Amino acid sequence: MALLRAKPSAPPESLPAAPGDDRASLLANLHSPEPAVRRGAARALTSHPEAAMALCDRLDIETSPSVRAVLFTVLIRQESPAVVARLLVHLRSDDAALRNGTIEALQEMRGTVTPHVRDLLDDPDSDVRIFAVNILGALCDPETPALLVDVLRHEPHVNVCAAAVDALAEVGTPDAIEALEALRTRFGDEPFLTFAIDTTIRRIRGG
Amino acid sequence: MSDTTPQASGARILVIDDGITMRLYYRTVLEAAGFTVEEATNGVEGYEKAVAQSYDLLIVDINMPKMDGYSLLRAIRSEAAIRSVPAVTVSTEAGPDDATRAFQSGANFYLVKPVAPQALTELARLMAGGRS
Repeated sequence: MALLRAKPSAPPESLPAAPGDDRASLLANLHSPEPAVRRGAARALTSHPEAAMALCDRLDIETSPSVRAVLFTVLIRQESPAVVARLLVHLRSDDAALRNGTIEALQEMRGTVTPHVRDLLDDPDSDVRIFAVNILGALCDPETPALLVDVLRHEPHVNVCAAAVDALAEVGTPDAIEALEALRTRFGDEPFLTFAIDTTIRRIRGG
Repeated sequence: MSDTTPQASGARILVIDDGITMRLYYRTVLEAAGFTVEEATNGVEGYEKAVAQSYDLLIVDINMPKMDGYSLLRAIRSEAAIRSVPAVTVSTEAGPDDATRAFQSGANFYLVKPVAPQALTELARLMAGGRS
């Protein structure tokens, strides 16, 4: 069976080009072989929020770190539930740079992220749950401390608990101390977790 | 976290990890064993410190902002002046592919979190030795 490759200059199907503006050329330039052209197109599409899915399409296949950086910056500005949903896919990527760029971008999107990330706290992959905790810990969401305490109470994986303890060192309140003490009982034979719990309780108490 | 084995005599270790508690843990364990510890909070800061100063061992987290551990190791291994500094990667990712990726990026050893204090100090002694 023959493999068909899309023409590099074709605009993505997710956003039909509108006649009479330069959006079509910007969308085409997102797929230019030149990273500088892709970077410029992505930056120029900042003022086209309707192009968000096209930018997400490009991020799915982009390999240049500098173009990725611009794509993330523009997508942060075009924050929406749809953008968040597209970015979350990259938390499962084998590409550590893409994964970590995604985490940083989601940490900047303070308005719409928490409900999506909350769902990931039940993901079967413990690394995805760790990333969810890392994102939550950086969001200034009033729900965050309670969600992290819930992780301490129910999470079976030591490294996910450790991530939650670390996040609580920054955002925890005295309400978290009881759950931290209970976690110490559950994982008393893990020196790092015991150390982290002690450190976090001390920070919450202002020590 | 007591350690009764002989103390390392001042070997310098750079810990590169975005977790504040994790960095404090490494520092506490390694300084108690006689190492001198410095910290970096992400891959970019880690690279800048590794280039600017001399270290006997790098302890590198994989998932970090600004520059991940794999990219950091590749950058260090391509820099002639520091390419031979031993490096241990530490990650929550325990799959064989993760270790392979770390070694291909230039890691000398791969540890999976959580790291026990004794394992950390013994590995540090083995890889960084001590300055007498």
